Amino acid sequence: MREPMIEPDVMRISWGPQHPMSGQTRVLLDVDGEKVHRIIADLGFTHRGIEKILENRSFFSGIIPVDRMAMVDTANMSIGYVTAIEKAAGMEVPERAKYIRTLICEMSRINSHLYAFGLQAESTGYFPAVFLWTTVDREVLLDLFEELTGARWSFNHFFPGGVHHDFPDGFADKVLKGVKYLRGRFKDYWDAMVENPLFENRCDGVAILKPRDALRLGATGPVLRGSGIDIDMRREEPYNAYDELEWEVITEDACDVMARTKVRFHEIGQALDIMEQVAQKIPDGPVKGRVNAFMRVPEGECISRVEAGRGEMGFHLFTDGTGNPYRVKINSPTLRNMYVFERLAELNEVYVADIPVIINSIDPWYLDSDR
Amino acid sequence: MSKISAADFVKAFQKAHPEAVKSIESTGPKRADLVVEYDDFIDAAESLRDDFGFTMPVSGGAVDYPDDNRIQMIYYLMHPNSRFMLTYRVDLDRGDPRLPSLTQVWEAMSFHEREAHEMFGIEFEGHPNMIPLLLPPDWKGGHPLLKDFKGEGQQ
Repeated sequence: MREPMIEPDVMRISWGPQHPMSGQTRVLLDVDGEKVHRIIADLGFTHRGIEKILENRSFFSGIIPVDRMAMVDTANMSIGYVTAIEKAAGMEVPERAKYIRTLICEMSRINSHLYAFGLQAESTGYFPAVFLWTTVDREVLLDLFEELTGARWSFNHFFPGGVHHDFPDGFADKVLKGVKYLRGRFKDYWDAMVENPLFENRCDGVAILKPRDALRLGATGPVLRGSGIDIDMRREEPYNAYDELEWEVITEDACDVMARTKVRFHEIGQALDIMEQVAQKIPDGPVKGRVNAFMRVPEGECISRVEAGRGEMGFHLFTDGTGNPYRVKINSPTLRNMYVFERLAELNEVYVADIPVIINSIDPWYLDSDR
Repeated sequence: MSKISAADFVKAFQKAHPEAVKSIESTGPKRADLVVEYDDFIDAAESLRDDFGFTMPVSGGAVDYPDDNRIQMIYYLMHPNSRFMLTYRVDLDRGDPRLPSLTQVWEAMSFHEREAHEMFGIEFEGHPNMIPLLLPPDWKGGHPLLKDFKGEGQQ
């Protein structure tokens, strides 16, 4: 990035690009003493050209680079692309496969939010221990992933028309056991973070984003719901088995960093509820239909929108009747939220020490903003 | 702004701006699709925001159609009350793609226009900060998402 002009009497601090809290990016801060006048996000350090790569791959092999767009949230990335292909090709998914997809997506969401908490606690400077807790507790999820899909990360479990593997023997009971364990742990997290005055002092009333601004600046995910707007793609455009399960959209009205953290807390609780429902209600039947790995999709276009851990993940798929997509436009949540982050310094009084706390309340994942 | 269904929006917009519409349809319960005439691009966008309640920008991107000699710029908008998505499109001349910047209507389109500029070579007139977003500052390889782009090793 060519750096924009600097104003007189202002110092410019460059933060990054070597892993500032999460991922590779650079943030430029124009500061006057402790006060931040302007935030400039410099993205693109992890640009791989995924949209171009997808144009040169078959529909099946394209799922793999999409899967790699967010390591901690991999299922919620690929589900959007897979759903788009299914819509374009008019494919049906067996009921049981929908439930398995729901389970994996929710486990992935917990995984993603746990990582967000760990960094949120670390960024306030007081609780590196919470980061260790979350890293240890996600082992429960990774073990379940491994047993179901064969891989702990990047399991690439979905394909158009179903999922690769059914539950192994006794898997539903293991899910219920894992849910019980994680529920017990969340009381500790709540006490260590939300109920902790040290954490409250750093997060309450910091970086306020009013509902009107959240809409105007295009915020999404927990950032939008932390400003009291109940938009969640799982409800607006149901995919998987979400319309058959009981859950509700979580919002908080405080509009600050703490509100976004609380939204993630409650979403984890809810994801555990959904996991439990899936383990109890999952119907019998096949998990995949007849599939041709060299499938062709009729000419046309379609949009799929799914709710990833960081917000709305959109895929606009253009097809021309061949075995490859003509064009795939990926609308990533972090790119939208980074614009909000840039503008927060104008909407609030922001200090240098708050910047790590604020950027983690956005929960950025630069691999999906850079694509 | 009150609630409106995607199908009702299509009828209402067609009635309010017949001269600006190139084509408009509702492609599903949660989808509307609008292609506008180039000259009415900004006026129609302002009307969408102020009269129809599309206060939430989602994203923007382009598609290259070399056979038709056009690039289509697509903006994704959401109606926060009625929860449906509008794809707002305009066709550009592929030889000289330029467009007034939509940041004057929705400022959050800034990042998406910067991306379309470097990936497709579209000039956005009046954009406040047109610098590369994702590509390196010394990039001289052309516009990667154009269909005739050849990467290293491809001839």
